[in-house]
Amino acid sequence: MIERTPLLNLVTQLLLFLGLIVAILPFAIVLIAATHDIREVNTVPMSLVPGHELFANFAEAWRRADLGVKLTNSFIFAAGVAFGKIFIAALSAYSIVYFRYPGRMLIFWLIFITLMLPLEVRIVPTYAVAANAFQPYQGLLDLLGINWVVEHFTGQRIMLKLSLLNSYAGLILPLIATATGTFLYRQFFLTVPDELAEAAKMDGAGPLRFFWSILLPLSRTNMAALGTILFVWTWNQYLWPLLVTTDPSHGTAVVELKELIPSNYGIPDWNVAMAGTFIVMLPPLIVVILTQRWFVRGLIATEK
Amino acid sequence: MNKNLLTAVGALALSASLAAPAMADKTKFDFWFGLTGDLAQRVGEVCQHFNDSQADFEVVCTSQGNYDQTLQNTIAAFRAGNQPTVVQVYDVGTATMMLSGAYYPANKLMAENGYTVKWDDYFPGIARYYAASNGDMYSFPFNSSTALLYWNKADFAKIGKTEAPKTWEEAAEDMKLLKDAGSACPMGINISANESWQLLEQFSAIHNEPVATKDNGFGGLDTELVFNKTKFVKYVTDLKSWYDQGLVKIKAKETGKTFVEAFAAGECDMMMTSVGDHGTVAKIAVPGLDWDVAELPVYAGTERKNSLVGGASLWVLAGKSPAEYKGAAAFLNFIAQPEQALFWSTVTGYIPVTKSGFDYMKAQGFYDKPPYTGREVAIASLTASEPTPITRGVRIGNFTQIRAEVSNGLQEIFANNKPVQEAIDGVVERGNALIKRFADTYPGKTLP
Amino acid sequence: MVRGPRSVPGAATASAPVARPRPQTNDKRVYFENRWIGIAFVVPQVLLIFTFFYWPAAQAVYWAFTLEQPWGGGNTWVGFNNFAAILRDPVYWNSIVHSFVFAVASTGSAMGIALLFALLVDRQLLGYRVFRAVLAWPYAIAAPALGLAFRFILAPEAGFFAVFNRIWPGVWDPTLDGNDAMIAIIITFAWKYLGYNFIFFLSALQGVPRALLESAAIDGAGFFKRARYIQIPLLTPTIFFLLVINITESFQDSFGIVDIMTSGGPARATELMVYKIYFDGFRGLDYSGAAAQSIILMLLVIGLTIVQFRYIERRVHYT
Repeated sequence: MIERTPLLNLVTQLLLFLGLIVAILPFAIVLIAATHDIREVNTVPMSLVPGHELFANFAEAWRRADLGVKLTNSFIFAAGVAFGKIFIAALSAYSIVYFRYPGRMLIFWLIFITLMLPLEVRIVPTYAVAANAFQPYQGLLDLLGINWVVEHFTGQRIMLKLSLLNSYAGLILPLIATATGTFLYRQFFLTVPDELAEAAKMDGAGPLRFFWSILLPLSRTNMAALGTILFVWTWNQYLWPLLVTTDPSHGTAVVELKELIPSNYGIPDWNVAMAGTFIVMLPPLIVVILTQRWFVRGLIATEK
Repeated sequence: MNKNLLTAVGALALSASLAAPAMADKTKFDFWFGLTGDLAQRVGEVCQHFNDSQADFEVVCTSQGNYDQTLQNTIAAFRAGNQPTVVQVYDVGTATMMLSGAYYPANKLMAENGYTVKWDDYFPGIARYYAASNGDMYSFPFNSSTALLYWNKADFAKIGKTEAPKTWEEAAEDMKLLKDAGSACPMGINISANESWQLLEQFSAIHNEPVATKDNGFGGLDTELVFNKTKFVKYVTDLKSWYDQGLVKIKAKETGKTFVEAFAAGECDMMMTSVGDHGTVAKIAVPGLDWDVAELPVYAGTERKNSLVGGASLWVLAGKSPAEYKGAAAFLNFIAQPEQALFWSTVTGYIPVTKSGFDYMKAQGFYDKPPYTGREVAIASLTASEPTPITRGVRIGNFTQIRAEVSNGLQEIFANNKPVQEAIDGVVERGNALIKRFADTYPGKTLP
Repeated sequence: MVRGPRSVPGAATASAPVARPRPQTNDKRVYFENRWIGIAFVVPQVLLIFTFFYWPAAQAVYWAFTLEQPWGGGNTWVGFNNFAAILRDPVYWNSIVHSFVFAVASTGSAMGIALLFALLVDRQLLGYRVFRAVLAWPYAIAAPALGLAFRFILAPEAGFFAVFNRIWPGVWDPTLDGNDAMIAIIITFAWKYLGYNFIFFLSALQGVPRALLESAAIDGAGFFKRARYIQIPLLTPTIFFLLVINITESFQDSFGIVDIMTSGGPARATELMVYKIYFDGFRGLDYSGAAAQSIILMLLVIGLTIVQFRYIERRVHYT
């Protein structure tokens, strides 16, 4: 800001520095744990002076968890969910905010309610759907008696099968089906001045044009924020990838990471586990840093 | 949804084509297990040994996280028809497995595939735990352990003792002396759900006290908890009083150090934990720590019975092809070999499950060299007596939740929220409701 | 801030096609007439949530009225018995209370601190790029790291918090003191969601025109006045978004933290509703009990959300 506020500036810097320490501390502890040998890492309190085993632990974790392949998979998985969700959420929020049709609010609430029941709670039936993505439609055909009618006339039943197990689609699609993004976009679209849409309409721009050339560019920082959060969230998903990918070639890094964590009565090599944890956390941290470039002030003036 | 309707007509199976066409002459089958970290590596090595040992089958071993997650994932997969051929299920899951209708009995599998298994070669304490009431074994014990008392020899020497306490009366004396000699933690314990195993189940077994009626649940689903009327109440009362006197300390990850870490650091003089931690203590102990293991103490005048086996067993699941069953039988036969028992016990803290495996390991001098000396105590503890109807094990439904109730009760007691008897009565009452709920879920079904 | 013109009478008729006009809708005054494009845009989302949410969730709802055998061996219809059994249990009501305490405390601290930091970073003093990047990190922490690090920090005997015990012996004991254990999980959850909220606050602050802030500064409005009268009012849509999401997540995303740190103890002091759901369903294989609890939790969170939409969204300034 233009004003001179030396005291406030000092307080600001102090607070931010404090925040920095608080934010970094757990990461630092993990990194220090990764430098120790097995005895040192199990000494309580663990020494905060780094040991000398960092690269040995990194190498061991990398080898055991086969991280090369898994990090790539995780990247595809996390980017897939982030992009898919942003795209689908932008479309549906646009539809809900900028159009009028019967059942619009019902659909908004139907989408919204998906926030209320986490995947893990319905994981067994969701797995059944992943094993055959057409199961719900088959169910509808059966429930509505359509299959009965078809069988009556043709002598054959309609049977649908599409297995998503051990595929990127199976990893990604079920995680896209929630409302976080839709809600955020709704909030953002509601803040966009009506004049913009009015002007666009007067210029003869249709809804597609308005969406593509005006709304999406305007929501750039929202997209960056949402993309970051979704990427990180997906990257850290554990239960679903563990269940859906039994074929190691599709496994994700976090699933492998959990396999590094010592189980009860096993050798507690937390040094290797934390080295692996650190490697696996790096890509999301880098993504957080990179997406901040998008956090630039928008050009629209919302004041009226 | 009727699974039969889903046979492929419009089959688009995206995934099938992705599975690499393997060597056509090897039959592949899946084995899911519930161990992670170092132990997952060891299971991987066992699988590798099996695959190298013959040309017909290939086992694909996948860690599914911990025991809970493995069981949950297996259930999800089974319901969708994608179950593995072999799965590792922990001891507490045995009751659920037996009622599931989802398994292929191990004894039947081996017989049909031409293997003669000497079932009486298994230690009775282990065999009975995993067997049906008629003695048939439906699953193969895999990683097995039992609870032991770990003690710090150097600190006991300071109070002039060269042996671990055999009775709790003796232990109480020792703890007082240790404290007077300057020990900050004569015994480290924890009271989370995991420790129900040592504190309730193992204690009850070696004292031949029931946990529940109907032979601890082996005799039927309509069992009821009774440990509010056994020596367990006195045991908890004593533990609490020792805790109040500073003789027993709670050491858990919440305090900073688990009791294993505190023992390995030389801070606690005694702890009760699985023989599986034997290797851990050896690996992380402060240099020069002089320690050993002994059987858990009993109250004076008790005729000691066998302790309980813990760990997990391997189940073969229903609905797989004959070729896969052939592979599974070969795999189960392979891991039962004495050489594998030696390998497995060397790289983990687990114990051999057969007499022949134990004899082979003794003959190889396994128990003579550190850091493995002392582990034979686990076998002595498991075979201290012929299993009685009570020391076969505990086969109760919803036992995971009941263990959590036990821990909640103990925490109430130790935090001075409730007197001992009242808290344990509460645990039993809530536990019985859980048992009833389990029985209601399986109407008309009985344990085999 | 001036309220948007949506309360102009004419606007109400423009949004008439909504069958049941709500007392206060946030409908746009301007909308596109081609409803088929709108419908086409929402179809992918609807298909996805039907396939991967509603269909499986319906099955879970069905289980709530039965006793389901985990391996699919069959079930018994029991009507509302599962619900009755849970609601009769005083322990369950305790976990509801704990969940509310946890939700309020963790949401309040995570959002408050994140907002403060976002406003401070937005001042763009020296080094703000570093602060901006690092303050967003906590959300990226992997669960095993969270467990290990906070065990190290919060442990009463050996961690950073051991300092308090050195000054006042016995003051910090999450092992047996339920309140301390609750504070421990609140700190951990708030720390993680600090990063989450910070990212969204920061992105929303970019939407506040610099010119507006500068002209206010010239008029003599200092940092706090500008925050109070310009930035925070313009942030209300984001604050509302984060409030709803944080409350929802604190009811649902807390399982991992409780599991790693306290396992619901001591003596149930940190047994949150979602932890009990996971524990009963996932560990204990009581699918029906867990399903019934899920429905209760879901209704509760939906109820809370409706309250937030009806009463808090009124204060949100959109355009």
